[in-house]
Amino acid sequence: MIKNILVSVSGSSDSLIAAKYAICLAKVMQAKLFVVYVINVKVLGELLKSRIFVEAEARAYERDLNDQGKVLLERVKKMAESKAVVCEISLQSGSVSDEVINRVNDLAIDILVMGELKDLTSRSDVFYDEGERIFRKAPCPVVMVRNQAMVEVLYKEMV
Amino acid sequence: MKLTDFLRPEFCVMDLKAGTKEQVINELASILLPSGKVKDKDDFIKHIMERERLGSTGIGNRVAIPHAPTQSVEGLVVAFGRCASGLDFQSLDGDKVNLIFLLATNPQDLGTYLKFLAALSKLLNNHQFREEFMSADSPASIIEVVRKYEKS
Repeated sequence: MIKNILVSVSGSSDSLIAAKYAICLAKVMQAKLFVVYVINVKVLGELLKSRIFVEAEARAYERDLNDQGKVLLERVKKMAESKAVVCEISLQSGSVSDEVINRVNDLAIDILVMGELKDLTSRSDVFYDEGERIFRKAPCPVVMVRNQAMVEVLYKEMV
Repeated sequence: MKLTDFLRPEFCVMDLKAGTKEQVINELASILLPSGKVKDKDDFIKHIMERERLGSTGIGNRVAIPHAPTQSVEGLVVAFGRCASGLDFQSLDGDKVNLIFLLATNPQDLGTYLKFLAALSKLLNNHQFREEFMSADSPASIIEVVRKYEKS
């Protein structure tokens, strides 16, 4: 029985489509939907270390990402509730892949839903791209959402 | 995230005319205007200069990356300029800079901007990459160098 579904959102259009599909899945399966947004402090740390950012700047970006994350999570929660799907949101901070995998483990997630992976641009992407890492390391079935038009129709028709 | 999705030949200046930090930022901001993504050039420059006042974005290795989020641009915009003779950017290591990347993003696209900066930073740490960037003879060659190192 599928009880818990997790979707990771980032603010990209792909992740919003993934959220819509996750809402549809949760509705059909009568599962609880968990939504996570991770503030990527790992990349902020890297940019600080490489001296592209100064401390005050990195903290300001972190605050902005925090604010954006809250707005996005509330938006997805409202979308889920409009379809009568039980939804729990959480804002995390750290390495995106590590935090998403932690949520999968902590919440006993049955299905992880994520946006479409981008084309790999280099061999190192296999190891360092956050989406790739989630896809490869997740200890549960992963649904990668494609076909925006189809998802939009499905979401719209879901009562 | 591909750097070459954002760094275009038409936004590369092989031999900057400007002689000061302010002039370079102005020159690079100007070449972005035809993109239609810069809605208010003066405000764009104002945000870049405000960031410079927090500390120079001349990060060493003869590279500067002036950057800022601003509502004055749509999405992420990137311009590149090269100054063979070197330019005083008040760099952290005290050296002049030869390679200048000007970046700005709409605050709505912070995620893409951070990924772009991280990927650019990774490439710029590579001495060989910087050398090839310096010796490229055209904007198209610049893009080819980026493409080559992105794949490696």
